[in-house]
Amino acid sequence: MVIKHALSALALALAMPAFAQQATAPAPAAAPASAPAVPAAEPPPAWKQGLGDSAQPNTLHPFAAKMTGVAAKDLPMSKLKVPPGFKVEVWVDGVPESRSLAIGPKGTVFVSNRIGKNVYAVTEKDGKRVVKTILKGQNTPNGIAMIGNTLFVAEHDKITRYDDIENNLDNPKGELVVDGLDPSNGPGHFWKFLVAGPDGKLYFNIGSPQNITMPSYIQAAILRVDPKTKQMERVATGVRNSVGMAFHPVTKKLWFTDHGRDWLGDDGPNDELNVLNKEGENFGFPFCHQGDMPDPEYGKYNTCAMSTPPVLKLGAHVAPLGIRFYTGNMFPAEYKNNMFMARHGSWNRTTKQGYDVMRVVLDANGKVTKYEPFLTGFLTDDKADPPMWGRPVDVQLLGDGSMLVSDDYNGVIYRVSYKK
Amino acid sequence: MMNLYSVKSVVVASMATAAFLIIPQLARAADIEAGRARAQTCIACHGPAGNSVDPAVPALAGQPEQALATALYQFREGNRKNAVMSPMAADLSNAEMNDLAAYFESEKRSAPTHQTKPENLVLGPALAKQYNCTQCHGPALMGIQHIPRIAGQQHDYLLAQLTGFRDMKRADMDGNMTSAVSRLKDEEIIVLVDYISGLGTK
Repeated sequence: MVIKHALSALALALAMPAFAQQATAPAPAAAPASAPAVPAAEPPPAWKQGLGDSAQPNTLHPFAAKMTGVAAKDLPMSKLKVPPGFKVEVWVDGVPESRSLAIGPKGTVFVSNRIGKNVYAVTEKDGKRVVKTILKGQNTPNGIAMIGNTLFVAEHDKITRYDDIENNLDNPKGELVVDGLDPSNGPGHFWKFLVAGPDGKLYFNIGSPQNITMPSYIQAAILRVDPKTKQMERVATGVRNSVGMAFHPVTKKLWFTDHGRDWLGDDGPNDELNVLNKEGENFGFPFCHQGDMPDPEYGKYNTCAMSTPPVLKLGAHVAPLGIRFYTGNMFPAEYKNNMFMARHGSWNRTTKQGYDVMRVVLDANGKVTKYEPFLTGFLTDDKADPPMWGRPVDVQLLGDGSMLVSDDYNGVIYRVSYKK
Repeated sequence: MMNLYSVKSVVVASMATAAFLIIPQLARAADIEAGRARAQTCIACHGPAGNSVDPAVPALAGQPEQALATALYQFREGNRKNAVMSPMAADLSNAEMNDLAAYFESEKRSAPTHQTKPENLVLGPALAKQYNCTQCHGPALMGIQHIPRIAGQQHDYLLAQLTGFRDMKRADMDGNMTSAVSRLKDEEIIVLVDYISGLGTK
């Protein structure tokens, strides 16, 4: 492992003139005469893998959610902006590290965690919203999806079903659907996104175990499992880590976001919006990023012509997460079948971007015609650490056609509504 | 290579300082005074103003607010377990945890009482580099946001945490600590802890 890391570091250093600009430190001081030999470095943390020479000064680091949350009254809501006619408000606070959203048939809103180990249900009682912890001690239960009144939860390594969930919030009974979903048990990209397909099957990601590495057969892929037969299939490969998937309401095709690799500089590669046109399609990782950028190391083994390019380049390091198509009746007609995309925001970039909800407009043929900001204002100072006061994770439609947006940084869910 | 390290550390440290100066401009939701009032229970063990004098009890003074709130959250939710702390955190609301965290962050950490052995002043920094401590905890190990300050932390407490992470008995937040220390040998833990617990504010 150590040798492999050293080689990739060398390859990156040779291939990346971008890093040269970071080395403009003052002239080196003389070495102390008694300086000890530096032992070989251990493998870096998963998020820092692929940086190359670890002696390069670099203060970029991922941000973590405030697990104890921020109360609604303390949020600078006046900073948030939505298009004219729309309104954004706090729908509920006190949902620690609120991540993925799923809606039950009676309107219960289920909320997942990535590192908080819980699944919550938000219900209305006497006109007030109540947050209830329905599952505890879960192992990264990031992926949640509903089929009928069954809640499916995708943890680190397995998917469990909870039947008749809305009638069993006090005592959910779990039954295993599939396990063994984490072959490497590695520290990177072990959280799942889960969505139910029009075929009644569950679609989910198994991410790349590292920033940049050669994945195994089951990694850097989108898979599906039939909850009835428990048969598992791989539907897409070369997907570094997709934490947002949705089926188009008309074409029924699977659309998904994918996070580009880190440590290739501020402006590349772009994160991706992809569409799956045929089963087994390859989307490039680790050989090719954003459809046209060969990886400095792995690019020599393969060409970009051998994989499907994204339908849209989303910007570098913007961290696209949950996507949903707008099928409600509240927003203006031109929003019908548009896609909304939550962008968690960049950490691997000196000038930060993202931290918003984007609107993606598609024409009748499924071609993207517009990609524009919809909900903004979380990013307050793109040079600060942290640069933002909130981070959108997922979007989901309520029965009345309004849209919920989860924010894991504050443990809050917002509601966006429209009135003529 | 050694000469480059020292210079770059200075550059990184100054960048980190610049980042810290920006933070207070953001609105602070938590209430330091409310935290101070509630903290009277805490200081019985954690020492005056959170400057612990018990080697086994961590100092809280000067820790990043988010790191403290996260620790309290982990005790309340049962991710971390401790005979004293678990019941202490059991009934705290999120807002109360945020107030406590804001208060202890506002206090100044006193100079460490632990004296590092001279040989570990050389071995310690090399190990901290080798095992990537400085990558997350910062070049001076002062912590940032959810990552705790370990410079000058109490000796026996650090020893117990590092050993716990290495043996996979200490709850992790996101897996980074467990993976970072998985290869640490017992004798390396002793050197690292002796070095880190003697570090003051630079």
